[in-house]
Amino acid sequence: MLGGGRVYRILLVDDDANMLALLADQLRADGYEVSTARDGEEALRRLRTSWPDFLIIDMMMPRMDGLSLAREIKNQADLPIIVLSAIDAGDSKADLLEEVAEDYVTKPYHYPELRARINRVLRRLGDKVPRKSLILGPDLTLDLHRREATVGGQTVQLTPTESRLLYALAANLGQTVPTETLLARGWAETEDADPSYVWVTMRRLRQKVEVDPNRPAHVQTVRGIGYRLVGAVGRDGEVGAEGRPAL
Amino acid sequence: MIDDRLRRPTTTTTDDAPAGADQPKTDAAGRISFRTRIVLALLLTSTLPLAVFGLIVFAAELILGRQGADAVASQVQLFAFAVLVAVAVFTAFGLASELTTPLRDLAASVDRVSKGDLGDPIVVAGDDELARLAESHNRLASDLERRNRELGSILEAIDQVSPRDDVDAIVERVGPDAVAAFALIDAVVIMGDPGTIGLEEVVPGVSRPLRAVMRAGGADIGVLIGRLPATRRWEPADQDLFELFASAMAAAIRNAQLFATVESQNRQLLDLDAAKDEFLRGVSHNLQTPLTSIRAYAEQLDAASPDRRLGIIAEQSERLSRMVRQLLTVTRLESGALRPRIEVVSLATRVRKAWEGLGVDGVAFELRDASDGWLAVADPDQLDQVLWALLDNAIKYGGGAPVTASLAVDEEARRIHLTIADDGPGVAETDRWRLFRRFERGSASVSDGGSGLGLYVSRELCRAMGGELVLAAAGERGAAFTVMLPGETGEEP
Repeated sequence: MLGGGRVYRILLVDDDANMLALLADQLRADGYEVSTARDGEEALRRLRTSWPDFLIIDMMMPRMDGLSLAREIKNQADLPIIVLSAIDAGDSKADLLEEVAEDYVTKPYHYPELRARINRVLRRLGDKVPRKSLILGPDLTLDLHRREATVGGQTVQLTPTESRLLYALAANLGQTVPTETLLARGWAETEDADPSYVWVTMRRLRQKVEVDPNRPAHVQTVRGIGYRLVGAVGRDGEVGAEGRPAL
Repeated sequence: MIDDRLRRPTTTTTDDAPAGADQPKTDAAGRISFRTRIVLALLLTSTLPLAVFGLIVFAAELILGRQGADAVASQVQLFAFAVLVAVAVFTAFGLASELTTPLRDLAASVDRVSKGDLGDPIVVAGDDELARLAESHNRLASDLERRNRELGSILEAIDQVSPRDDVDAIVERVGPDAVAAFALIDAVVIMGDPGTIGLEEVVPGVSRPLRAVMRAGGADIGVLIGRLPATRRWEPADQDLFELFASAMAAAIRNAQLFATVESQNRQLLDLDAAKDEFLRGVSHNLQTPLTSIRAYAEQLDAASPDRRLGIIAEQSERLSRMVRQLLTVTRLESGALRPRIEVVSLATRVRKAWEGLGVDGVAFELRDASDGWLAVADPDQLDQVLWALLDNAIKYGGGAPVTASLAVDEEARRIHLTIADDGPGVAETDRWRLFRRFERGSASVSDGGSGLGLYVSRELCRAMGGELVLAAAGERGAAFTVMLPGETGEEP
């Protein structure tokens, strides 16, 4: 378990009794404290009395669907949410899902994959990245909650993995983040992922967010260790003001 | 757009046009008819010098007497004769130019009109032939100008209607537009069969009824009726213009009607499409949720007390899930809503996992990895669908023979090639062309229970990811399919 023995509380919302029982058992076996709700209204009632650390919500439920419930909850508090859904990334609703939820898991899910995603979401709880734009200089602004970057005035879309990596880097602005950490953040659910995943993804990320990818100004490689994200770079190549950009 | 010339104001000129400058002269001669003036001028130039010459000869004889001054007298006569001839020539020239001035003005004015300048009327005083000619010219010019203006208004009115406008709004504006363009008392469009809309009688002295059938696309859709002030002339050319306006507006109304129909059908289709998406989401949810439970419970039981049958339950439920997903993918391919989520993936790992996921017993599998650390750039979910379909086919048609997957890199094209080969009967020459079509499969085996969608979906998915899927080999034995995907070297930068 994460967090030095701390027990995380999960609120599980699903209208299917079998699923609810099954998943609750699996999560309890992994040491989570699980409470359950059969629909959105019950979930909201429960939230009035106790506050979980995060929620797992089924996408399709009678009365209030998972998307509406997730929106409702996000209006009240920034609780992490994982959505279980039978739709995949190709669905037109997948984007909506990603906007309100931290992550979503496609049914039929494999429990180890779900667990890996839960762990990643919990790890990111410690990352304090503002939900507003992160201005790294005149040529780069990150809007990670929308998975967008503005590079030299042009808006580019980031993939979920790219934005996860940038989250981890932005949370440690100006500091080197080890490749292993980035690997855990970007590919929590992927077994056999190796550092080359990070290298290739970072190389592709630079093509997107750097004005001159061959002379990166913001996404810098620290050879043999990892990467760091820095704000506007001074003339001598040094990071200005401890790399802390204006927010 | 509308020609500016058609919109020019009625009177624009204050320039020194000859017609205007000559006004006083023509005024002076105003009362006498043109014919009289020509007669007078001819008489003047032919008789006056003769008369004066006679007077001079008579006077010379009186003054000089008869006696012996013949030489001087004949010299005086000769001189007087010469002077008078000169005077006569000049007078003739003067009169001719005076008389033809209005004619030249007329010619210049007609010239201007034919060039499109309808601004200046020719002013010819009096009521002689020239004045009447000028007047009819002026009337022609002003008629032309008025029709030009009307045409301008018509074009402007047509210009302002768009097929996106509401049909009723267009119908309603035609009347006011007609009133504005033709200076009518009122006008209105009545939609419906023109035969049912009665004609009004023309009563002299009362406002005159106008009527034009609105015809578009070979059908009469209504009538434009209006009333003209009794004092206005209405000539066939005006009626032509009125009908032109009516038919242009009819076309606009017809276009708007068609556009509205298309729009509403479009909306219906979008609604249907959204309903279909929602339905498929529901189907998928309702199938995947129990399948998830089945598989998870089977796995739990298998973990507690291992039983091969539980493994089969888990694998088969997984297989069902994949088929549901494949159907979803097909509908998305059809509606063009497929959007790959490109990530970096290791093809070797993905192939190995896909093979394990199929849970095949008794078929040998070999992975020859010459990818040299290269990673594919693809949508992991969609790639899995391709791999499952190809491996599933290899197992199905291989008849228990070993299946091999080999990875190679085309560095120049920056692509990774994955070839999945079986040792089955291969693909018959006659079957190859339809291999990647929907609902087709090799004729060698018909009752394999496949959906016939695998290769079609796989090729489309590969293409959506910027890659390709081809039949690599089809010899006597065995079939091989090659997936080509964009790739990147996995070296540390």
